[in-house]
Amino acid sequence: MSSIVLEARDVRYRYPRGREAITGISFHVRRGEKIALVGPNGAGKSTLLQMFNGMIRPDSGIMLFDNEEIRYDTRSLRQVRRRVGFLLQNPDRQIIAPTVYQDVAFGPVNLGYDEAAVKEAVAVALRQVGLEGFERRPPHQLSGGEKKRVAIAGVLAMDPDVLVFDEPTTGLDPSGSEDLMELLDELNHDSKTIIISTHDVELAYPWADRVILLADGRIIREDVPDVAFGNPVYVRMAHLSVPTLLELSVELEKRGFTIPDRKPRSVLDMVHIIEQHHHGSCGHPLPGTITVCNVDEGDTGTLAAWVKARKVAVGAMGTRAKQCAATESIPLEFTYGVIDKCILRALRGQDSLILTTERMVDRVAVRVDAYCKESSTTISMARLNMTEEAKKHDPSC
Amino acid sequence: MFEELLEDVAQNNGLREVNTTVKLAAGLGAIILCLLSTGYLAPLFIALVLSGAVLLLARVDVKTYAELFLVPLWFALLSAIVIVLISGGEHVYWIWDPLPFLSLSITRESINTGFFILCRVIGGMSALLFIALTTPMTDLFAVMRKCRVPDFVIDLAMIIYRTIFILMDQVRQIYHAQVMRLGYSTWRESITTFASMCGAAFIASWDEGDDLIRAMDARCYDGKFALLGESRPAGFRSGASLCLFLIAGSAAVYASQGVTLL
Repeated sequence: MSSIVLEARDVRYRYPRGREAITGISFHVRRGEKIALVGPNGAGKSTLLQMFNGMIRPDSGIMLFDNEEIRYDTRSLRQVRRRVGFLLQNPDRQIIAPTVYQDVAFGPVNLGYDEAAVKEAVAVALRQVGLEGFERRPPHQLSGGEKKRVAIAGVLAMDPDVLVFDEPTTGLDPSGSEDLMELLDELNHDSKTIIISTHDVELAYPWADRVILLADGRIIREDVPDVAFGNPVYVRMAHLSVPTLLELSVELEKRGFTIPDRKPRSVLDMVHIIEQHHHGSCGHPLPGTITVCNVDEGDTGTLAAWVKARKVAVGAMGTRAKQCAATESIPLEFTYGVIDKCILRALRGQDSLILTTERMVDRVAVRVDAYCKESSTTISMARLNMTEEAKKHDPSC
Repeated sequence: MFEELLEDVAQNNGLREVNTTVKLAAGLGAIILCLLSTGYLAPLFIALVLSGAVLLLARVDVKTYAELFLVPLWFALLSAIVIVLISGGEHVYWIWDPLPFLSLSITRESINTGFFILCRVIGGMSALLFIALTTPMTDLFAVMRKCRVPDFVIDLAMIIYRTIFILMDQVRQIYHAQVMRLGYSTWRESITTFASMCGAAFIASWDEGDDLIRAMDARCYDGKFALLGESRPAGFRSGASLCLFLIAGSAAVYASQGVTLL
């Protein structure tokens, strides 16, 4: 997992008749990482991103993909662009074709897939972003979030290893950005390396594995988020602000709270710190249960009734789970950071249900176990299978 | 300015999911029947059936449909009046010679001709509107390929189609920005404002073109463009209704041969 997939060695770039946009940058990206390139407007983020797939050729220095130098002849460029998917900030600029199907099929067709393979690639990509049934829709009738998803599907259809997003959440409403970040997590879970550029520190802080702070075409700092954002000097140099959680943890530390080495990256971490200070007295003596339901298995038709009977809060993880909740008209309490929010709920002694898909079921267990070990509490987890549930209630089966 | 576009109506109409060929056959068949007919009843019958289909099956708003129909209808009406006045005949009802070389008359024959042509226009127009309101452009691209239209023409058409909407959106934004700052307040002012909007739209479209090439390159463009073929089978109901319509239309044409108003 730690092999290097993208690398820049002292790259420099000057716009024609302009100032130097990139002034000597070196860094690397490992396979499967989530990298956030953070910096103010005009720091050279977009320019740097466009070097990853050879859209911009550096004046000096070299870019490496998979430990091989990127060459700029047509054939090599095609190869790189297939494996490094690029998403422009404005999806209207990225969507070329008159219908969703045609746009998503654009890449596969140009890569020379046969018709059946194109259909398959488009179907898979649309399923991944949750836009099944949109094939015949023209892009100008879609909402901003849907357009973004079409653009992402268009890139996914080429099955790239690395996904590069230029300001992925601009123009999206808060819930749309949360959905998008969740989708990025899902894609990362599918072993895709993801690089985003943003100036939203609150967004980058909990999400990224590593943060690269950029200002005036230089790297100011490259580190894990709490270190990169933790130093006010760097943050000021990059015209950014310290993430609220980090600022809060610094303040609490000054007031005598014990802050672990790994700085809090979510509300859950923060609550844990505060609770420990109070010797666990704010929590509920009897933690609630987290039930996990895989929407791909069993019949989800009776799910709504199950939820209603138990009065649990429901969260959905992943695009398909959210669609299932919508079709079964189950009201969703959480759509982002679901596991953390359900743990928080469990600590208050309340039950919750997480709707998710096969691949993500284990992730819930891993996260909950990790939390329990860290905070030495026990939160009970249960699996819910609607088919078995039906059998239980109906002895004739 | 910038109301709902014809294309938007077509994208959301009730017959959207019906096989494109069936819809095109109905529209084109209706036009041919209108041209073949020699009496005024058949075109009126076709117009009635197709308008009914547009309003009841495709569920197009009556007001939208009436607005679309009335504009060309005025032109047709004016032309019909001219025809009535200048084409002569034997049964003269009224005649006037204002100038030695010009004689205006209303005769039985001229009324018949004028009315017949008006009915034909109504029939043909309802057929055209039927196609326009039930078949969105995006479905026609696949038909164009089937008709052996060269690929580069179709690709260009598709890119143009997509860009029109982006450009429309930009023009709409520029227009609103201008109106908000009192751009079109006087007649003189509105000329300059309109000119500056055109300039801004031109620059925007130029940029758009650059970006389009970049976006296509980033996605490995190799001269190929995907098409979404027809995946919806004709189906028994739509096929049967098409046949029924064409047979009934032909029967109407045959039965109303030479039928005149007067």
